[in-house]
Amino acid sequence: MNYIIILIVSAVAQYFLPWWVVAPISFGITAWKSDTALGAYGSAAAAIGTLWVGYATFLNMSNEGIMVQKIGGLFSENLKFLKSLPVTPTFFAIMTIIGSQVAGLSAVAGHHFKALLK
Amino acid sequence: MKFVKFIVSLLAAAGLTYALNRPLGAIPALGRLFSPFEGFWQNGESKLSLPPANLQLAGAKDEIDIVFDDNHVPHVFAKNDHDAYFAQGYLVARDRLWQMEFYTLAASGRLSEVVGERALELDRYSRRMGMADAAKKVYENGKTDKIFDEVLNAYTEGVNVYIKQLKYKDLPVEYKIIGYQPEEWSPYKTILMMMNMRNVLNGGSDDFRMTNALSKYGMDVVKDLFPNYPTNESPIIPAGTKWDFTPVAVPAAPAQVSANAIAGEPVAFNIPTHSPEIGSNNWVVGGTKSATGLPILANDPHLQLTLPSIWYQMQLCTPTMNVYGACLPGAPGVVIGFNKDIAWGVTNVGSDVMDFYQIKFKDKTKKEYWYNGAWKPTTMRVEEFVVKGRPESLKDTVFSTHHGPIVYNVSSEKNLNQTVPAGHAMRWIALEKEGTDLMAFYYLNRAKNYDDYRKALSYYVAPAQNFIFASNQNDISITPNGKLPLKWKEQGKFIMDGSNPANDWQGWIPIEQNPTAKNPAQGFLSSANQFSTDPTYPYYLGWKFAPSERAIRINERLAAMQKATVDSLRLLQNDNFNVEARVILPELMKILNSDSANNNNAAYQVLAKWNMKNDATEMGATIFERWVKELRYTIWEDEFSMKDKNNPMNYPSRSRTWEMVKKQPTAKWFDNISTKDKQETMQDIVKSSFKATIDSLTMKLGPMTPVTWAWNQVKSTDINHLGRLPGFGRQDIPNGGGGGIVNATTEVNGPSWRMVVQLDKGWPKAYGLYPGGQSGNPASPFYDNMIDKWAKGELNELFFMKSKDEKSSRISGTMKIIKK
Repeated sequence: MNYIIILIVSAVAQYFLPWWVVAPISFGITAWKSDTALGAYGSAAAAIGTLWVGYATFLNMSNEGIMVQKIGGLFSENLKFLKSLPVTPTFFAIMTIIGSQVAGLSAVAGHHFKALLK
Repeated sequence: MKFVKFIVSLLAAAGLTYALNRPLGAIPALGRLFSPFEGFWQNGESKLSLPPANLQLAGAKDEIDIVFDDNHVPHVFAKNDHDAYFAQGYLVARDRLWQMEFYTLAASGRLSEVVGERALELDRYSRRMGMADAAKKVYENGKTDKIFDEVLNAYTEGVNVYIKQLKYKDLPVEYKIIGYQPEEWSPYKTILMMMNMRNVLNGGSDDFRMTNALSKYGMDVVKDLFPNYPTNESPIIPAGTKWDFTPVAVPAAPAQVSANAIAGEPVAFNIPTHSPEIGSNNWVVGGTKSATGLPILANDPHLQLTLPSIWYQMQLCTPTMNVYGACLPGAPGVVIGFNKDIAWGVTNVGSDVMDFYQIKFKDKTKKEYWYNGAWKPTTMRVEEFVVKGRPESLKDTVFSTHHGPIVYNVSSEKNLNQTVPAGHAMRWIALEKEGTDLMAFYYLNRAKNYDDYRKALSYYVAPAQNFIFASNQNDISITPNGKLPLKWKEQGKFIMDGSNPANDWQGWIPIEQNPTAKNPAQGFLSSANQFSTDPTYPYYLGWKFAPSERAIRINERLAAMQKATVDSLRLLQNDNFNVEARVILPELMKILNSDSANNNNAAYQVLAKWNMKNDATEMGATIFERWVKELRYTIWEDEFSMKDKNNPMNYPSRSRTWEMVKKQPTAKWFDNISTKDKQETMQDIVKSSFKATIDSLTMKLGPMTPVTWAWNQVKSTDINHLGRLPGFGRQDIPNGGGGGIVNATTEVNGPSWRMVVQLDKGWPKAYGLYPGGQSGNPASPFYDNMIDKWAKGELNELFFMKSKDEKSSRISGTMKIIKK
């Protein structure tokens, strides 16, 4: 349930607010209801992961993947190890880690906040 | 325990979020950059994305119709001039905002604000040159012209209306990567953009290198090796053209044309030498030579090739004009283009408009300097540098004399406290405070005939350009035009004594006496940055212009042309014939031939069979180009070192060098003075340089094969991103050409816009493209879509619309701007 709520609220909020709004949203929703720290983490991380991957996939497809290739070229000039990795999956992975970790850790904090109030 | 768990997890979450929302050194804020809602994913442009159908914008006075063609060129149909420039500002910003601002940051010496320490030296240089200061004054003076002010302000409004509605997610991706925000545009910034062009095209000097040569070898050697006019020239104004004016008096030359060198003061500041590749071609054939009986005009300005491109195509139509052509992002109007009646183009004149004066200060405070037998006060300006990543700003004091700003050399700066420093003041055309240059283009955009062309030119200041012109009344003309200082012969060939008033710039060549030619008997006109005139012109413009090879080739091809078509002119733009090879290769081959071992040498055989064309696949071009470079290096580097850090000089020109090989084979300069016990002859040098060239090519490319030694492999043209962002440019573009070739495509410079216009009594037919695309967005299908066609030497037919209602399969979308 939390998964759906975080996903929908974040999708709407990110249209108007900066990217880091996923942190307070995950925090707020798990502070309101969550059973375990792990569950909170999982639902938030999965929700933002799904949302970001889904939206980025849509944007990437309508652009035929040109942008991510360019950004890949840019980063791999400074971080040589990226040259040996396939650009698109690598950059989706980096994005997913960023989004899901911020959401997941915030959700854990939210869960502990809930526990504190009990 | 619960509390600890909460605090720890909160700190972890908040810490990570905070860290990802902040730039880390050169790495931008990663959270924001990778978020699909805000970051780079948002910059992906769909092929199908169409402009909004209706757009309400504050600032528009009336309805503006915009038609986009299949090459993403906007055609603006406005009901008044204000709206045309307003829409131009808006549309250029929409496609090229980051680039426009980048030019202004560069010209005003503010790059380190966005990229940090690594741009600081460049910024210091730009600030000392004083371009920002001059741009402010140019606008202050220029705005007394009401039209000038209105045009600039309308354009500014358009740019700003675009900037104001941008959110982070809409920013050009470069802003996201480097991590900064666009500032408001202003008329001053448009002038800064033009300052950038003044710097690129007029910001070179050989004065200090020549002074070094003079002090080492004396005037006789300098006169012999660095003559004031080349042996082989084909000047812009056809030789023999009569000057139908009474010249004004030229100031008298002083007894001494160069300042005395000051012991222990090496003159080695970092002013770049003239770059011969930054030149351009333009030409026009008159009705007598064309298939249509009316003129055909061609232009290809050579500049450093970048992505986004320096040019942006556009059509602007109002009740007072209907013009199409190439615009500079940041500047209103069309710079090179055509309308129904006329076409025009520009190439750089390259006359000597940057001079240096040795200044004697009274003491180390530099508050006064010696001039005309008295101490004269300097003016002082403090430049402040805000550097990204530095907590405090830096300051730099710049002193100015009546000549211009002081440019110090590095060594004297370190010695500041030990001696009273000598400084060098710079007089530079780019700092002229009047400058309604843009009005020249304003009037050209509306010109209907030759008289309108002449009137438009009178507004132009710098960088002086060879304005070529054709009309459908069958007039053709060319005018090296701009504000040209009235100089005594050789004034400014060397660093001058700043205390002697005779060395000052003492006036200007009356603008109507700038060299010009109209409808010559030969039936064509052209320019390729060579000498403007033959030596009969009563004024001195400079001693060094671009080498004459391109001009010679263009003029001989045009002279031979009959019933010329658009295609004959297009083919000439892509001509790869190597005039230098024709001049010197047979002579050099004779020398190699005297050594029987060479007959079996594969490289020798390739050269012997070479068609003297720098075509992409030619190995001969590779060997020849590298060999003559090596040969000049071997002949001159020992005596006229360009590499010497303290006292660099220039090599004598290519034409002077080949003249020496042919006519003065025993000249002492051939001997390599660094081999003490040996005297090399010219023949020795030719042979050894050939061997050295082949050895180094083999080392670099491996054994000779038609693929690995092909000219395009070796030359390897790159079109890099303007901000040097890796991955955003295009490398190794397959094409031929070279520095002294009509198709002047080198490693990083080349034809930045190619245009051919066939004039017509009814409606002109025009063709053109540039190596890039209309969009500045690296993810756009229109970012670099013209490069492949450009490399092949093809042109696009330009879609010049008669009215907004014209129907065509080339229209890809329309947009209406409505006033708010």
